[in-house]
Amino acid sequence: MTFPFWSLTAESRELGLIAGVAIGFGFGFVLERAGFGRAQKLAAQFYGTDMTVLKVMFGAIVTAMLGMVLLSGLGLVDLRAVADNATSATYLWPMIAGGFALGVGFIVSGYCPGTSMVAMASGKIDGLMTVVGVVAGQVIWTGIEHLPAVSRLQNASDLGHVYLPDLLHLGPRAGPAIVALAVTAMAVAAFLGADRIEKILAKPAPGATAPATPARRAVLAGFTATALFALAAAALPTGSAAVPAGPPRLTPLELARRVLDEPWKVRVLDLRPLADCAASRVPGAECVPADQLGKLRLADANPAREIVLVGGAGLASPPAAAAAYPGKVALLDGGFPAWKAFALEAPPPPAAGASPRELDTWRLRAGIAAAMTGVKAAPPPPMPSGDAPAPRKKLGGGCGG
Amino acid sequence: MERNPDRFWNPYLAGVALGLVLLASYLVMGNGLGASGASLRLGVAALGVVAPGVVEKSPGLVHAWAGGHPFDFWLSFEILGVVLGGFVGAYTSGRLKWEVLKAPAFPRARRLALALLGGLIMGAAARVSRGCTSGQALSGGALLSVGSWAFMFSVFGGGYAFAWFVRRQLR
Repeated sequence: MTFPFWSLTAESRELGLIAGVAIGFGFGFVLERAGFGRAQKLAAQFYGTDMTVLKVMFGAIVTAMLGMVLLSGLGLVDLRAVADNATSATYLWPMIAGGFALGVGFIVSGYCPGTSMVAMASGKIDGLMTVVGVVAGQVIWTGIEHLPAVSRLQNASDLGHVYLPDLLHLGPRAGPAIVALAVTAMAVAAFLGADRIEKILAKPAPGATAPATPARRAVLAGFTATALFALAAAALPTGSAAVPAGPPRLTPLELARRVLDEPWKVRVLDLRPLADCAASRVPGAECVPADQLGKLRLADANPAREIVLVGGAGLASPPAAAAAYPGKVALLDGGFPAWKAFALEAPPPPAAGASPRELDTWRLRAGIAAAMTGVKAAPPPPMPSGDAPAPRKKLGGGCGG
Repeated sequence: MERNPDRFWNPYLAGVALGLVLLASYLVMGNGLGASGASLRLGVAALGVVAPGVVEKSPGLVHAWAGGHPFDFWLSFEILGVVLGGFVGAYTSGRLKWEVLKAPAFPRARRLALALLGGLIMGAAARVSRGCTSGQALSGGALLSVGSWAFMFSVFGGGYAFAWFVRRQLR
């Protein structure tokens, strides 16, 4: 899976920004049409008279979730890669406390941060005040985040990237589909309950949603059918051509990129005998002879980091102890000999008249060899081993920031 | 299309539409939707222009400032789209009107003060929980992040817990 625009690099920047505006436009337009530019309609959720907030939110979550789980079941999208990129790590207690405070702010202002912008755009002065408050509140809080007490509160209970299927110890393929089916069932139950509560509490007021049973029936049936289809797609053993046979393999170049650029995202385990590993290994690798692997208890380890197994040339599949790891497991293609040939030996200089592409490749390889053999500064030290979670991805934080 | 400010989309269909926008965001941008991330960058950039001395005193603000120009941040453009989409939606539905939304008997100044106060609370809360209802609950929830689900239930809890205290404001 590639993210065409996610880094806004030079060549895709303009297209990416246009796509960003277009996606935002869809977001704002739908929120407005759902009635979310109107504080009364949003607040009515908390007085039980109009459950539009719950219906739209859960409906959107179920739609996007089923879309991702289905595409991933068909082998078209790497769900985990998108999720690790698009979500923040779980800080359980800060998120519970922050959620409660945000709920209070929601009912006090009548908006949430996104809908306040829609209200502002439709001319509501109270919406404008809320937007000002959200910006000021974030800036003020960011200004005091370095204070020890605040920082302690904010960074407590860091669980890394953890997802509902991980909690239930379900497999990486069937897990999301099973959880998606359960979430869909819960949402359908919530919809039916919400309609009942509305019927009991709502006064026939302008702005209240007229009952539209055919739409509801179609949406709920669509959700259920898609959830079952996603489960079937995930249950097919290797039915889809896009599902790779065997564990993913990394080339030495890909491993070098990970080790040099994002060492906190990988955990390299060297399965060769201790003496070989002690003599020479991939930077940051832990020496874990294959028969010792069970001691790491990978099945219960935090799945935030990708595990890369480095063996001798003949290692064809991950040992059972590593395959039980809930996160991603990859093998270094060709094992340590391939690494040695790639990273520890300087490549021959290119011949005169080599193409720019060959020159580029040579520069990259020579740079890697130089970094690995200590000619240049050593790569940053790896994270301490064990279950230390990956550090926060972005300090920018904020909403999806 | 007939303009009727009191007509909204069916909530179930609106939910599916919003979900499709979110799905497109995952697939095209590799990221979810967000509302508060960009406002921090914009706020810090504005503060940096008005009072750079204040920014320099706080490591957190310096970090956000050094994180890049707000226009190098796709969420800033997404927010621009949200405002445009909201404007067009309001215009075409007849809801575009310069007004203060409140219960008829509720004082205007108090409504505006509460709107500001609620915004301040939400801004701080969005920092603590790494996102608001859009970025954390919606975008993280659809990807089954544990923290997003804990956050979402907590938001509803906070709203219901405090609804009674401001019950005269909007009803």
